[in-house]
Amino acid sequence: MSVWSWLKLTMFLWLLRKTVKFTGGLLLAAVLVAAWPVMLVAVIGYLAAWLRGWPPVRLYRTAAWTLPVTAGWLIIVEVRAPGWRSAALTPGRAWARGFDHLTAAGLAHTFALLLPVAVPAGLALAGLAWGWRIYAVTAGIGGWTASAPISFDARQWKRQVRAAQGLNRAPGAVPLLARGGRIPVGATIRAIGHRWRPVFALPAEACARHMVVVGATGSGKTNLMIRLWAGWFTAALQAAQAGRGNRPLLIVLDCKGGRDARSKADRTRRLLYGAGARRVAIWPDEARLCLWDLPASDLAVLLYQMIDTGTGAAAYYADILQAVLTMAVLAPCGPPVNTAGFLDRLEAKWLQHAWSDGRHPAELAQARAAARHLPDIQLRYATLLGRLGPALDGPGTLAEADAWYCILEGTREPSVAEAQAMALTELAACAATSLDGEPRVMLLAADDYSAVARRVPISNLYERGRSLGIGVQVSAQTWQGLGRDDDERYRIAATADGGVFVLQAPYPEPLTVLAGNRRVLETAHKLVGNLWGDEGTTRIQRTSVADPDLIRHLKVGQACYIHRGAATFVQVARPKASPLTLLPAPAAEPLVQVPKPRREPDPAPPAWPQGPASLDDVFGSRDEP
Amino acid sequence: MNPDPFDALGLPARPDLSDEQVRSAWRAIAAATHPDRPDGGDLARYTAASAAYAQLRTPWARSEAYADLTEDGEPDTSPLLAVPADAWPPPVPPWQPLLNLAWVPARIRRGRPLRLLIRATVAAALSLVVLHLIPGTAAAPADVGGLIWWFVLTGRKDLAPPPER
Repeated sequence: MSVWSWLKLTMFLWLLRKTVKFTGGLLLAAVLVAAWPVMLVAVIGYLAAWLRGWPPVRLYRTAAWTLPVTAGWLIIVEVRAPGWRSAALTPGRAWARGFDHLTAAGLAHTFALLLPVAVPAGLALAGLAWGWRIYAVTAGIGGWTASAPISFDARQWKRQVRAAQGLNRAPGAVPLLARGGRIPVGATIRAIGHRWRPVFALPAEACARHMVVVGATGSGKTNLMIRLWAGWFTAALQAAQAGRGNRPLLIVLDCKGGRDARSKADRTRRLLYGAGARRVAIWPDEARLCLWDLPASDLAVLLYQMIDTGTGAAAYYADILQAVLTMAVLAPCGPPVNTAGFLDRLEAKWLQHAWSDGRHPAELAQARAAARHLPDIQLRYATLLGRLGPALDGPGTLAEADAWYCILEGTREPSVAEAQAMALTELAACAATSLDGEPRVMLLAADDYSAVARRVPISNLYERGRSLGIGVQVSAQTWQGLGRDDDERYRIAATADGGVFVLQAPYPEPLTVLAGNRRVLETAHKLVGNLWGDEGTTRIQRTSVADPDLIRHLKVGQACYIHRGAATFVQVARPKASPLTLLPAPAAEPLVQVPKPRREPDPAPPAWPQGPASLDDVFGSRDEP
Repeated sequence: MNPDPFDALGLPARPDLSDEQVRSAWRAIAAATHPDRPDGGDLARYTAASAAYAQLRTPWARSEAYADLTEDGEPDTSPLLAVPADAWPPPVPPWQPLLNLAWVPARIRRGRPLRLLIRATVAAALSLVVLHLIPGTAAAPADVGGLIWWFVLTGRKDLAPPPER
């Protein structure tokens, strides 16, 4: 083959390719122009999705929601002119007639006639086109520049956030409880693996299992947790009222304490009152619990655990301590009823007298043997119980309120807060297993539990909750705050079958690993100079379902929910009870107008006596003799 | 104003008092201290009780007053009364969704009425355009129905949530 022939062949093939491409485009354009009503709706739908950052599924669902209108239109056509032919031909006739009147009014007329068909078709077409666009850009086969996937994703994220914030502002978009007992969390920003819904809502059962919330200070953790508590409480309460379960009992342990905890408690209380709670107790500020109501054996173990005991040589004293406590609490006369009673028992005389009934010689011998240690033990417990204050000395039980907000001063007094946390979890366990009282469905939420986790590891709390059927929700500021070592942290996070919420955090990688990876297409293009050439390769790669970099850059109030290998980014809505529940504050003036008292007119002052005309009348005249 | 409205009504400082308890306390004090009594009453106490009643009239206000009180004052750690099982409202009847329609005006008022009005105006204007363009055709009622459908579906979020949601 000569060079000239090769050139001719090449030119011919190039022209053929271009002609086929041009003809295809021309045909497509003709079809699009011909089906202009559908195209108009599709363009509007596509632009809306692009500007609001919607996923294609939103367009498909909108198209599905318009189908009842199409069905209604078909019924009307069928009623007017029975037979499927008329229904099938009506849009075609209207479309064909439209080309006879190519004026604005004529086009509007045709569009109005075709709307029942054009809207669902156009929206479905827009969904397909938008889906293709997302696929093309993310796979690297679309866009003008090599950085198109990155800039497209960043732009879409901003739009998705803006749309989510707008939805959260709507008063009825994110209530405390949605249909089907679901707990709305906020507007969805982006869903990866989960089913996309405009408002992300959790099933109430998720809160009733185990959940982990991790987020730095100021990331919006409090809002999220209060929303989850109020949502769970509302769902459980409504289920109880409908006869589908027991009444709820919410126990919140605010382990950080301080002034913030009080305002948080007050906010939670108002919200729960709005959700239908009758009594929300704030411990220890306004309510008490009674440690001494615990079953005697549990009380003895708890009292032993509340005191720091050493190991090694100190284990000897620990054993003595335990033996003394067991004797003091399990004495034949019954367990102590308050702190003073308990401290009285830590005296040699009392213990020996209590066990000297002749039937417990072994215990009596032990009491005598431990006599010299008793003053030390009494001193330690007097100090501990004195620091704990009267709030655990009763009277009061968890059953007395619908919700308990317990404030532990974990930052100011860690050792006291740890002892209180132990006592409160024990009381919760006792309430869950008690056969005497009314059965309640319980959620134990521990906010910033890491502040007191030294003595009661979160994993113990978890396992305890699971065995007792109590939902446990734990929050920490960082991954490290979840436990002492990576094994414990991983155990806590991996067993959170209610899901893991990650807010802005500096080190989210271990948590994002739980969401796993997903397959994505990575396309490499051959560069010709500064431009992309026609050749390249595409291969399947793996990337995180929950992007740690995205989580690191989350703004206040944005969270990533990780559950079962999928992730949903959500803009958490500030929890607010329905304004119809929380009535506005009364006006400043008193409701009952205070009547003015009836006053008699003040009596006129007595008239001055008529004075003498001059002082001479009183004292006499100097001239007088 | 009395710094402790609960004290002015002779009630324990608790946020969980019922409306009836507060009202009864107010009535008792009012009857005993009203200035129209033959003995002249006790105007100062009557005024303080009136102001306290106005302050504690609703559950929300009691919660607020209680929160203000406990900020500085000594907490009340007296035991709470047990929640009686029969104090709960009766189960929700199956026709409750119909009864909920009665809340719609209040939900509109407490929601975003202006946005709803704009939506309604747009839907009404487009309906009029459709009826003007294609009167008597099968598409006209379908289009108007579609606009009403759009209004209902998109306007829901502009309503305030129903009570206890």
